[in-house]
Amino acid sequence: MTVRKAQAQVQAQAPSSPRRRAFRPRGGDWGVRLGAIAILLLVWEFLAPGWNPLIIRPPSAIARAFVELVENGELQTALVISLRAFSAGLAIAVVIGVLLGIVTGRWRFAYNALDPLVSALYSVPSVALIPLIGFIFKFQGDAPRVAAVALFCVFPVLINTQQGVRNVDRGLLEVAHAFNTSERRLWTDVIIPSSLPFMLAGIRLSIGRGLIGMIVAEFFIGLVGLGYLIIQYGNVFRIDRMFVPVIVVAALGIVFMGLVQWLEGRVAPWLRREQ
Amino acid sequence: MSGERIVVEAAKKHYGAIPVFEALDLAVRDGETVCILGPSGCGKTTLLRTMHGLVQLDGGRILVDGTAVTGPRRNVAMVFQHFGLMPWKRARDNVAYGVELAGLPQRTIAERVDRYIALVGLRGFERHYPYQLSGGMQQRVGLARALALEPNVLLMDEPFGSLDALTREVLQDELLRIYQRGHIERDGRGTPPAMVFITHSIEESIALGDRIVVLSERPAHVREILSVDIPRPRTVASVIAHPRFVELRDRCWRLLRERAAA
Repeated sequence: MTVRKAQAQVQAQAPSSPRRRAFRPRGGDWGVRLGAIAILLLVWEFLAPGWNPLIIRPPSAIARAFVELVENGELQTALVISLRAFSAGLAIAVVIGVLLGIVTGRWRFAYNALDPLVSALYSVPSVALIPLIGFIFKFQGDAPRVAAVALFCVFPVLINTQQGVRNVDRGLLEVAHAFNTSERRLWTDVIIPSSLPFMLAGIRLSIGRGLIGMIVAEFFIGLVGLGYLIIQYGNVFRIDRMFVPVIVVAALGIVFMGLVQWLEGRVAPWLRREQ
Repeated sequence: MSGERIVVEAAKKHYGAIPVFEALDLAVRDGETVCILGPSGCGKTTLLRTMHGLVQLDGGRILVDGTAVTGPRRNVAMVFQHFGLMPWKRARDNVAYGVELAGLPQRTIAERVDRYIALVGLRGFERHYPYQLSGGMQQRVGLARALALEPNVLLMDEPFGSLDALTREVLQDELLRIYQRGHIERDGRGTPPAMVFITHSIEESIALGDRIVVLSERPAHVREILSVDIPRPRTVASVIAHPRFVELRDRCWRLLRERAAA
């Protein structure tokens, strides 16, 4: 029994190892990662004092600035504002992107109707639309920043979902018809699960874009949040404090990526073979 | 009923200008296994799909249990060369797929699924995803999914065609064992369903078939129908050891070669 299981696993892994095998996670991986970061920080720390403090400050100064910004509460306030706009924008983008992706992936009419618009909007650098969004939402409250994040996030989700829906295995579609599937069961049994990995990949791509959208919108529209902290301390040459929100944004990216990966393991456990 | 489960009458199918088959006639009796033998691309897979209504005929008709086929039905089940398992469903849920869609009561579904998982030797693998199963085990899932419908007709589309030689032989033996009277519940009579088995392996068609239909080159017509007079219960080994085996194989071989040389 256990031998048979082991055999089954060996066979299952076989297809994933043609020539260039992806790195498999190993125990020592994290040691190397943390070590590389530590060395970078050490070199930075020792070289920084030789430079103009208006341009570069050592990590220890940034750490001190971090503590200051936490103690006076500026960082938390900014983080809450940014996070609120980012999560709302991402959520809206996922809902719209998945829905439009499904509709345009499945029905030729919808595809032809929306594709020119999607292609055009996707080709325009989203940054160029930020002032327009500001005007549309009258620069009031969270709305323009939420909209900016949603604009930055929606295309990867939409286009990936569309690809996923279009790439459903024809063999499986035939199986579903052979077993007399209903239209509803066709979606729940075949189309949705088979495009799920594409949707999740789209969401992962959109996180990086969404953070850009969030910061840029804060630069130009809101003058609040982490983006405004960066501008504010950049203007007064407090490079140490300016770096704090930058690092927090990087951390946000890592956290959200991890969240999506965790979600993937929960909703699509059959994909584990690829990791 | 005359005992004929499937009747193909003057069936005609074209793909664009290319004729796949024209005026094809064939009958499959209840409980009988008919192997359809022919080289790749001769239209045998298309023929099987028209029997299930997945592909529509351009002329003639196909009757299953006296009714013309227009689309997939519950009393016909299919096993695919590519297995056709849902990667996101565990083995058990894949087996249950067909009976669930058939809308049977939950209790019947559970009973059927248990029964056919046991029959094809999948016990202990119910919670495995397809990727955790070998090719042979995956096709056992495909077979159980079809059998669980307890269909009148079982359509097999080169089901062992993508397996290695050894696994293929093991599954041929399994299929012969399962097909012995009494293993498959049907109308309380225990007769196995009529089976149409597509293959391009001569040995496989002799081992499994009661009759072998040798198709000609495209446009396909029935070149000859051979009766496999090797008694059941059979195993692959017992068939190969049988004196009729070599004669039948030579006959099939000659029929296939004749056409190729022409």
